[in-house]
Amino acid sequence: MNRAASILLVDDEVAIQRAVAPLLRSRGYDVEVAATGAEAVIAVVDRSPDLIVLDLGLPDLDGAEVCRRIRKQSKAPIVILSARGEEADKVEALDLGADDYVTKPFGPEELLARIRVALRRVFEAEAPEVEAVQVADFVIDFNRRRVVRGDEDIHLTPKEFELLALLARNADRVLTHHTMLKAIWGPNAVNQPEHLWVLIAQLRKKIEPDPSVPRYLISEPWVGYRFSTEPGSAAR
Amino acid sequence: MRSASDVRKLVLGIAGILVLALVFTQWTQASSPATVALSFLIVVLLVAATARLWVAVTTSLAAMLAFNFFFLPPVGTFTIADPQNWIALFAFLAVSLVASNLSAVARARAQEAVARRDELGRLFDLSRDVLLITDSQEASSRLAGFISRRFDLDYAAICVPGASEWIVHASGPQELVLDQRELSTGFASIDGANPAAGLRSDAVHRMLTVGANVVHLVPLRLGTKPIGLLAAGGRAVEPGTLDAVAGLAAIAIERAQFLDERKAAELARQSEELKSALLASIGHDLRTPLTAIRVAAGNLQATWPSEQERREQSDVILSEVERLTRLFQNILEMARIDAGAVTQDMRWVAPSEIVEAARGRVEHALRGYAIDLAVEPERLVRLDPRLTSAALSHLLENAAQYAPAGSTIDVRAIVQDDGLTIAVRDRGPGISPSDLPHVFERFYRGGVAQRRRSGTGMGLAIARGVLAAEHGRISAENCSDGGARFTMVVPAEVK
Repeated sequence: MNRAASILLVDDEVAIQRAVAPLLRSRGYDVEVAATGAEAVIAVVDRSPDLIVLDLGLPDLDGAEVCRRIRKQSKAPIVILSARGEEADKVEALDLGADDYVTKPFGPEELLARIRVALRRVFEAEAPEVEAVQVADFVIDFNRRRVVRGDEDIHLTPKEFELLALLARNADRVLTHHTMLKAIWGPNAVNQPEHLWVLIAQLRKKIEPDPSVPRYLISEPWVGYRFSTEPGSAAR
Repeated sequence: MRSASDVRKLVLGIAGILVLALVFTQWTQASSPATVALSFLIVVLLVAATARLWVAVTTSLAAMLAFNFFFLPPVGTFTIADPQNWIALFAFLAVSLVASNLSAVARARAQEAVARRDELGRLFDLSRDVLLITDSQEASSRLAGFISRRFDLDYAAICVPGASEWIVHASGPQELVLDQRELSTGFASIDGANPAAGLRSDAVHRMLTVGANVVHLVPLRLGTKPIGLLAAGGRAVEPGTLDAVAGLAAIAIERAQFLDERKAAELARQSEELKSALLASIGHDLRTPLTAIRVAAGNLQATWPSEQERREQSDVILSEVERLTRLFQNILEMARIDAGAVTQDMRWVAPSEIVEAARGRVEHALRGYAIDLAVEPERLVRLDPRLTSAALSHLLENAAQYAPAGSTIDVRAIVQDDGLTIAVRDRGPGISPSDLPHVFERFYRGGVAQRRRSGTGMGLAIARGVLAAEHGRISAENCSDGGARFTMVVPAEVK
């Protein structure tokens, strides 16, 4: 991270702008503010920010539409600010290419953590394709299709490995049920989440030290799952 | 029971017998006893056909005596020589008695049929009346009124067991006081007597003597469950009819209760809808300030902000707390309006004071707007200044929400002889015609384009509610040269 990352903050509420923008600046980010969806799309084109923090309830466009328009212009990660009760909008936005979300009301650290993770992925993506993911003593070797915990070789079925690899390649990023179903079972399966539940349960039994308190495969209620590389993120 | 007409018929009948006897003895010498007996029988039947049984029987006895005295030898005495004539005499008596009886029975049947028809008619009228009862509060008393009127009763009452004593809804010209204990025993006796067990329904009727009056107590049942008593006094009404009346009354009470329950269910549904609308509305308006406060407070705790940045962050917190306060004030005001807890506190006040008070209430929202105020003429009005300024403050806040920053909001207060009119006019986009009929509905926020204007959708509804408590009214219109105008009218005394 040689240069300061630039962040576009999109929220029509002046109070949020006034509280969040200085917070981000204090961490060395370069912050731009937009109050409407249209302004946001223009700012994405003009400034090509490294990351976009997007409020779902904008006065001119609905959140999913803004996501779609931003994605046409930029691959920068989008972190959504959403309200409880807007689950459907949130999932739609994630399916349309948003990367993560924070639920209002959120605290400063929560938002900063999401932004850090999303930005890290951007800079890592510039590095060559990863061949393995390692979290503590847990290793996933993509090329050799091996999963090891400590000294123990964990045997996974092809589908289990596929799902784990999908989640691990997008480590710390929430994947929606829709995305996972489509990637593993194909477009016809997107309305059959039970496939996913069963497979996740099997995976947890095999890889989690304690399947009842998942440490790696974290459920994001109503939205999807994420593969967590951060210890203690289960408490979220 | 012996009415004057019965006596007159008896006299006529006996006179008829005597006249016939005279005719037969004086002018027709050759008449046989059989002819005479048949002629007498005609008189007896005529009497029986028109009068009561006892008149017919008396006439029969008189005819028999006259037959014996004038026509059976020895003539002129009540003795009879020939035993055959005894048979003739008793045969005559038997025929006339049987005929009288048959006729009387037929007549009674006819009378009963008429009475039945009459009561059926009354029952039908009553059933129509019952359908008019829609309010369970007054169902019982209206029911008693209908029963006493339709059945010409001097006294009719619906008695329902209350918490500690009987609730008696009485009607009719006569006023009686029913003994509570009698009602209780009457009610208790129904429980044991189940009509389904084959007991005659009128077996559970009780007669109650109140002063000189006899009152029938008839159970009111819903299905088999007794719910009260019907008391009827005055004109005698068939027990079966009373049962039918009681049945109708019970149905009417049940129906009124049912209507009430439906109304309550409807109200509950509306309040449910209101609650979810409220939740949806305040959900957003609560979360944004909370988020801003949480982030700003976190910033204040951190070490990075400069003095100026700290002031900025605490300013964010204060203004968002202000916003939350306003939101809760609105919710409370709405709840008070809903509960009908808005009371007027009248006093003499100058209109400009009301405007000042209203501006003070929403000072934060009016920042950045110019207010052009005109009051004419400045006369004292007598109204509730608190309510009036509250309503005006919501109009001002609404204007500020929709008008562009820096624009002017016109406030015109006009005192007329019958009250105060205040118009608030903004330089905003105006109200779209499709929104115009709904602007005072709660949680209604005009147009999709404006869905995120900060506001709760409660202000105008509260203004209308507050004004309604003052017997005032409010209206909205678009000005020909742009912007919206809200006009509130408060009736008031004017000095």
